[in-house]
Amino acid sequence: MIKTRSLTKRFDEKIAVRDLDLDIAPGEFFCFLGPNGAGKTTTIKMLTGLMRPSSGEAIVGGVDIQRDPIRAKQLLGYVPDHPFLYERLTGREFMQFVAGLYRMTDSAFHQHCDELLETFEVLHVGDQLIESYSHGMRQKLSFASCFLHQPQIVVVDEPWIGLDPKNIREVKTYLRDRTREGLTVFMSTHSLAIAEEVADRVGIIHRGQLLHVGTVDEIKALAPGRGKRLSGAGELGSGLGSLEDVFLELTRQAEEGAAPVGGMQYES
Amino acid sequence: MRVRSVLGTILWAKVRVALHTLASVRQESKLKVAFVSVSAGLLWVGLFQLSRMGFRFFEELASTVVGVGGLSLSDLIMARMLSVFALVLFVMLVFSNVLVSFSTLYRSREVWYLIASPISLSTFFLGRFYECVAFTSWASAFLGSPVMLAYGLESSAAAIFYLALLAFYLPFVVIPAAIGSVVTITAVRFLSRHRRPVWLGIASAALVGVFVLFRAQVGPADAESTPSFQSLIVMLTKVQSPFLPSTWLSQGILDATTGAIGESLFYFLLLLSNALVLVWIATLAAERWFYAGWSSLAGGSAVKSNRRLVVSRVLDRLLRHLPEPTRSLVSKDIKLFWRDPAQWSQFVLFFGIMALYVANLGGARSFAGQESWRALGTLLNLGASMLILASLTTRFVFPLVSLEGRRFWILGLSPVTLRHIMWQKFWLSVGTTSFFTVGLAVLSAIRLDLDRTAFVLSVAGMIATTVALSGLAVGLGSLYPNFQEDNPARIVSGMGGTLNFLLSMLYIALVAGGQAIVLFWSGVSTVLNGVPYVWAVTGAVSWILVVTVVTCMLPLHLGLRNLERAEF
Ligand SMILES: Nc1ncnc2c1ncn2[C@@H]1O[C@H](COP(=O)(O)OP(=O)(O)O)[C@@H](O)[C@H]1O
Ligand SMILES: [Mg+2]
Repeated sequence: MIKTRSLTKRFDEKIAVRDLDLDIAPGEFFCFLGPNGAGKTTTIKMLTGLMRPSSGEAIVGGVDIQRDPIRAKQLLGYVPDHPFLYERLTGREFMQFVAGLYRMTDSAFHQHCDELLETFEVLHVGDQLIESYSHGMRQKLSFASCFLHQPQIVVVDEPWIGLDPKNIREVKTYLRDRTREGLTVFMSTHSLAIAEEVADRVGIIHRGQLLHVGTVDEIKALAPGRGKRLSGAGELGSGLGSLEDVFLELTRQAEEGAAPVGGMQYES
Repeated sequence: MRVRSVLGTILWAKVRVALHTLASVRQESKLKVAFVSVSAGLLWVGLFQLSRMGFRFFEELASTVVGVGGLSLSDLIMARMLSVFALVLFVMLVFSNVLVSFSTLYRSREVWYLIASPISLSTFFLGRFYECVAFTSWASAFLGSPVMLAYGLESSAAAIFYLALLAFYLPFVVIPAAIGSVVTITAVRFLSRHRRPVWLGIASAALVGVFVLFRAQVGPADAESTPSFQSLIVMLTKVQSPFLPSTWLSQGILDATTGAIGESLFYFLLLLSNALVLVWIATLAAERWFYAGWSSLAGGSAVKSNRRLVVSRVLDRLLRHLPEPTRSLVSKDIKLFWRDPAQWSQFVLFFGIMALYVANLGGARSFAGQESWRALGTLLNLGASMLILASLTTRFVFPLVSLEGRRFWILGLSPVTLRHIMWQKFWLSVGTTSFFTVGLAVLSAIRLDLDRTAFVLSVAGMIATTVALSGLAVGLGSLYPNFQEDNPARIVSGMGGTLNFLLSMLYIALVAGGQAIVLFWSGVSTVLNGVPYVWAVTGAVSWILVVTVVTCMLPLHLGLRNLERAEF
């Protein structure tokens, strides 16, 4: 459903995403893991057509987002990391606006709008200006609007800031349930706990480079016996490491690999 | 170490920000910087030449009326022109200060920060006040200096004229700034909780009041009966009410040039003392009322949803025949506009200025007796209307794309092309502004009692101008967007907005040139003898068409290309 081929993004000298190859099947819940500044948001913006790749291509639902953006965007839904919305529209008006952009019929809109507002718990403030919403409410409204046009692929960029634990769980469950109905989810996060809980497969990105892709168990299995281990969190786990250990280990290795001089000093 | 005063610190920070902004100009595209500087320079020179021509015209007129060189009369006329100019400047400064002080005092982001820090309200106010003064006085110095220089040269003034000008300028700009702050602070304190109709009622009452006062002070008294040169002088005399700061300025400067130093000093001190008292009053108003007004404004958007729903429903009704993404985009733009007090209140002000303008045209008709006056009057009216339109599109249309701001991802993600969005904004702009501008053109043409050619020329010219300036504003707004800023007034005051206004003026000059050929044909044809009138009309019309199409399409094309390249 989502496919990238040598997807690369350069900002002047800096390479934010390098030669990314991904292949995500329909109905899959894919988690894109990486520390801050790893290139997750940049990848997502290329997937959604908000940024143009420096080279390579991104194909969503079989359509190249750069070649036929209109058709690709019909299939896509997106929840950004910072929910900037129109402050002086009401929640419901915002939903109506989005429905208009996707040329939805009135009946389809009325069928889904309240249901979604209800699901994401913003129905009671639906007629208030977004100006008066809290950060979490805005986040939930952007979730509701994202599902309005029944996308087949949903791309979510670290949506948890501002959501309370109960909401996080509900959103997770909602996304999980929808993937059972065939929705493909691409979610970036730096929270390992969440990835561990919901993901079918996990990709680990660090400094713009994809380090590993696999199921949660596959990735966890990498932990023991893989190179030397420094002291720290890793030692606490026994047997199968937690995803966190693997993550820290992989990113540490990548850092050493990227800076050979530092690595040499370690050896001596 | 010396501890800097709080006010000093605030001003110091402001100066640093200004310096960084200046330094960041280096990172802007060279072409843009060069373009803006050259157009600003051209505008300045153009204003200078135009004012020279204007002053010369009146001087010559004065000498023809008296018939014997009339030296003293032309001096008199020049002095009167100076007071007219000072009055116009004063009124403009009061208006722009009301506009600027609202966004500076209540809307900028640093207000939250400053209010949270342990400084007194008067310190806070003075810090913001100086910013207002700097902002508005800079603009008026730019527009005023070419006129004053032309005046100095035409009246062959001595060096002391320029020195006096410098000395009088500061207290002169402080007065409207203080008035603007007092008006804004009072209005926000006592009116922000009221509904729009109350606001509109008070605003129109104030406008009518200003109008009546203006008529009583400077209006053409019995101009209808004596449409003559004398009545012009009578009218000009009335401009010099001793209660107007503009009179103190013009009289003081004139006294300085004629060597009456004592009188000049008197006017200077009059200006200075009034400026100081007004700043003191404004500070008192700020201490009393700023905080209460500001908090009720910040928390004011309570539910009131029923009302809002009714208005939205009416709007949706009106728009229901538009095809779909367009309808949603238009409805959103209108709702956002009408719900932002910074937008609609300024729009109402514009509307008021237009109304005042049309209402005052009746007096101008009395001069329309002679043929040459009539053509000049028509042209000036067209110029004024087009200028109003240029400010309208610069202020309200140019920021439309920028205002999408950090919300651009919503549009960027949707299956709507950027081309579609740009055309939607263009047609929205044409549709809404033409309602006002064509109305203005028709009304003023009727008030001026124009003949058929002039009527058609005025109205058609206005339609062309609306199309051209809308395209220019949407195009430049997309070519030089500012996605960081949410305050439309500040978006406009950037480089792109300045450029938009300058180019609008250039367009107006080009179109007015075409219209002038037709209007002044009796004069022009003596130079171009043999050219038939029909040719002149055809030539002028095709010229205006070409300029219009280029002004509209080229920026739209470049702006679209820029947006398509942009990343969000
Ligand atoms: N518009 C930009 N210009 C220059 N550098 C950028 C831009 N956007 C992101 N970057 C850089 O690219 C890298 C990846 O950023 P991002 O994709 O936002 O990371 P994250 O994984 O935290 O979402 C960072 O180092 C960031 O500084
Ligand atoms: Mg990110």
